[in-house]
Amino acid sequence: MASSGEGVRVHYQEELEQLETRALDGLDLVVSSLDRTVEAIRHQDIELAELVIADDDVIDGRYLEIHQSILTLLATQAPVATDLRLIAALLHVMKNIERMGDQCVNIAKLIPIAGHEPPADERMLRNLVTMGGAVRAEIRQAKRSFADRNVEMARDLVRQDDVVDNLNRDCFQLAIEIGDDHDRREWAMTMLLVARALERIGDNAVDVGEQVAFVVTGLFREFEDASHPGEPLIEPSASP
Amino acid sequence: MDDPVTQEERRTEERAAGGAGDGATAHASIEVRPGFQHAAPSASNEKVFELHDISVFYAGVPAVRDITMDVFRHHVTALIGPSGCGKSTLIRCLNRMNDLIPTARVEGELLYHGEDLYGPRVDPIQVRKLIGMVFQKPNPFPKSIYDNVAFGPRVLGMKDDMDDIVEGALHSAALWDEVKDRLGSNAYGMSGGQQQRLCIARCIAVQPDVILMDEPCSALDPISTGKIEDLMAQLKQEFSIVIVTHNMQQAARVSDRTAFLMVELDADERHRWGRIVEYDETEKIFTNPSNPRTEDYVTGKVG
Amino acid sequence: MAVTGARGVTNEMLSAQPRKDVIRNTIFASLLFLAIALALAGLCVLIGKNLVEGWSRLNLDLITQNNSSNPAEAGLRNAIIGTIWIMAFVILMLVPLGVGAAVFLEEYGSRTSRITRLIEINIQNLAGVPSIIYGLLGLAFIARAPLSLGYTVLAAAMTLTLLVLPVVIIASREAIRAVPTSIREGSLALGATKWQTIRRQVLPAAIPGIATGVILAISRAIGETAPLIPLGAATFLTFTPSPTTDSFTAMPVTIFSWVKQPQPEFQTLAAAGVLLLIALLVVMNSFAIWLRNRYEQSW
Repeated sequence: MASSGEGVRVHYQEELEQLETRALDGLDLVVSSLDRTVEAIRHQDIELAELVIADDDVIDGRYLEIHQSILTLLATQAPVATDLRLIAALLHVMKNIERMGDQCVNIAKLIPIAGHEPPADERMLRNLVTMGGAVRAEIRQAKRSFADRNVEMARDLVRQDDVVDNLNRDCFQLAIEIGDDHDRREWAMTMLLVARALERIGDNAVDVGEQVAFVVTGLFREFEDASHPGEPLIEPSASP
Repeated sequence: MDDPVTQEERRTEERAAGGAGDGATAHASIEVRPGFQHAAPSASNEKVFELHDISVFYAGVPAVRDITMDVFRHHVTALIGPSGCGKSTLIRCLNRMNDLIPTARVEGELLYHGEDLYGPRVDPIQVRKLIGMVFQKPNPFPKSIYDNVAFGPRVLGMKDDMDDIVEGALHSAALWDEVKDRLGSNAYGMSGGQQQRLCIARCIAVQPDVILMDEPCSALDPISTGKIEDLMAQLKQEFSIVIVTHNMQQAARVSDRTAFLMVELDADERHRWGRIVEYDETEKIFTNPSNPRTEDYVTGKVG
Repeated sequence: MAVTGARGVTNEMLSAQPRKDVIRNTIFASLLFLAIALALAGLCVLIGKNLVEGWSRLNLDLITQNNSSNPAEAGLRNAIIGTIWIMAFVILMLVPLGVGAAVFLEEYGSRTSRITRLIEINIQNLAGVPSIIYGLLGLAFIARAPLSLGYTVLAAAMTLTLLVLPVVIIASREAIRAVPTSIREGSLALGATKWQTIRRQVLPAAIPGIATGVILAISRAIGETAPLIPLGAATFLTFTPSPTTDSFTAMPVTIFSWVKQPQPEFQTLAAAGVLLLIALLVVMNSFAIWLRNRYEQSW
């Protein structure tokens, strides 16, 4: 958290801390949304899915609120240095939160398509629930690493996300297998889209981790370049 | 073995936690450059001033110590820091105004375009022609606007057409349009912002190389301040500017490089003097300063 | 209801003034008025008395006729000319000496050096020395050896210059000191030398104050009688004095001599002369005040 002041600009410090807390609590909102989403997947529960869709308004509301507060803080307090980077990072994070919420909605919208009492495959469902759990853990860790300004913890999210990516690939394989079965083909395709959405949520959590590094170091870069997955970034030569 | 990215980050963390540094070199990174524009990219590397271990004493009491920094051509260089850190003392070394104080003593080496500014054969009068100064409180002479601007050229014996000089200087100070019909009227009839621009015109009229500004806007309203800040962006194309300001936002807006000075106390807390904590590109100072003391000052936690 | 009540209270608070304060204010104001009244009364009595007495001789003859033993033919003409000659020389000597000394003390003297402080103290003391002493000083060194100027206009002028010099020095110093340091700094920062700054910025700005000081000094010198007597100012002169004549007279001296004459007609003349002198002083002082008000620089 921000270092304590020496009695100077106390009001501003408090404002900043409150803003960060409100923003990061958005991640908690996403977690509860995700929990309900995973429940809906597991039990193929259409009513729960509708609840998720309706509650996304809360996340969107939080996004707008934080966005407005950031604008106000920029205009009135003119933050610089670490404070400035924090504000910029929070804007990114809010966007990530909003997208994660939207992905939950996307998943929730897919469940009714499968219809009541769909021809579910246990393995696929198990995979999806595992993915949901892993992503949930990622989001919690992302929040923790931001609050603690822990860059190591943030970098660890890459490893965790790799697990989710592998699970996503497994779902793909499963879908191909199930695809031979005429009755279950449609359901399998739908669940594949669900897996994809979960994977996207995981990526967003990694993005939050990258913002942690930006706040602490002032360097803005991705942990992993998406075009060269698995390779660390090459250091550019120092300018004279 | 860490990958290069982690190594870089670790190095930055160490540096951020580390001690004082002045003239810190820009470190390697692909940091995103903020989008705000300075008037013209100041790519000049030519040095106007080189300060090596400059210390100033008043009657034996130190005011600033061991100042080492380079001032570059066509840059706006800002000196910031809390009150009493010696910013004004430092800037007055640059045009030898400290000579006027009998008890002042300057130690160290101060080079101006490579020449020792305090050398035995250097004439302070010539120094002040080349290095002009604008003061905190506008101080126009109790004469007409025309005579104010013409005073410098006249006493220095400049032979060119005085009308042209005056008009040129007033144009450069963005004042011509406002006063061209009343050049003969008393300077005291102008507003504070206009008076300060008159002082700038007066300074420009003697065709200096450097313009020093000691808190030029602190006595002015925001509109006048804005006009003078815009003026600085134009002026730096022709001159080099060093500005002392206690307004950090102003330093962030107008300067290319910023030096942050801080007060130090001696062991028994009787004497205080100033030192440079960090001197770097303004962008860096205000987005990602290397020294935590700089961070504390610019974010307002201290000072 | 509550509003009127509140307003009533406020009204009371605003208009309440204890009787004690009013009484005290009135008494104090009256005492101050009394002080001024007394001062003015003195002046009025002086002028009034002379007006009554000298009325009959307040005509052009007063200034067109030279002094004479016959009161009917006596006038102040040669005395006036003598005074004019003396004052001309005084101004000529006073301004450079006074302003020069002030400039030296203010601009070139070190504030803290012992010599400067010594000079300052001496100047202030000199301002209080009785004028007769100056007269004796002039007699001893100026009229007699080593300068040996004799009883002349020049000797008188030099003596009177010494008398009022401290006044000019002090007034000039004040005027120079009133010029803010920021003006000097601004000038020096442009590359002007110290002397250029003094000549082109400080002195021009200080002129109103200096001029006022000079005028006040002159108006004092005009009325001085005591120092002129040891210097041999003739109490009775029939010809017109000039720097070349070996004796001179001045207005105060002539008036003084008339007062000493037994004939009552001379008393009338003396009263008229006093009025002329007062009128002259009033005009000069008013001019000094007008000058100061018109050109005074508010920094």
